Amino acid sequence: METTPTVTPHEARELLHRAETLSRDAHNATRWPYITFILALGVATSLGTFAMAVTTGDTFGLAYFATLTVVFALLVFFMFSIRGRSAFSRGRRWTAYIAAWFVSYAAALAVVIWAHGSVPLAAAASGLVLVVSIVCAAREARS
Amino acid sequence: MTATEPHPRHRLDDVFTNPVRFSIVAALDRAGTLSFKEVRDAVEITDSALSKQASALEAAGYLTIGKSFAGKMPRTSLTLTRAGRAAWRTHLDALRSIAGDA
Repeated sequence: METTPTVTPHEARELLHRAETLSRDAHNATRWPYITFILALGVATSLGTFAMAVTTGDTFGLAYFATLTVVFALLVFFMFSIRGRSAFSRGRRWTAYIAAWFVSYAAALAVVIWAHGSVPLAAAASGLVLVVSIVCAAREARS
Repeated sequence: MTATEPHPRHRLDDVFTNPVRFSIVAALDRAGTLSFKEVRDAVEITDSALSKQASALEAAGYLTIGKSFAGKMPRTSLTLTRAGRAAWRTHLDALRSIAGDA
């Protein structure tokens, strides 16, 4: 007895279209906070570490305080916007993005601590933070 | 003598011939993991219908249903398994082959 479902070419095309639309819409509806967060985090920490690396005294303190404040505000935004969502929470891709940002941020912090005042090193390290976050956000946006 | 290729419809997965199960897996295809509410909104079905079909997909090994708590609020997540993703790819390939037959 034939039990294999029969699907016509027209039905197959409709099913493929539905699958693509559902997949894209579900993904688009859930990923925007993640893209916004990784991009904003990258920009804030890139500018913040660069400012900290090339300034001293009160200006350094202001850059330090401003960076911490912006990062904290971003974390609040992120936690609030993904509340009740599960997308990416256990995804390898998202873990990789955060790990990549963290490594570049640690490098930028190392420049602030051990090569303070070196504009070329600060530009390279902070630029790396920016590039990494932009690449991650762009990759997620195009996935 | 040449072996005749079986018709691509034989590669269709019976689990995905149900439209609701098809839509649930389609919604999870890119995202991988979504909350119960996100899938319900994407597929536009009732909680009970989603719960029933998600359990069927879990029984087939295509989906894992995660339960957690955020404070006192229960939170359910649906994750496409590796086997589920592979079966979904095979199903879509079969559909593409059928669509190309026209």
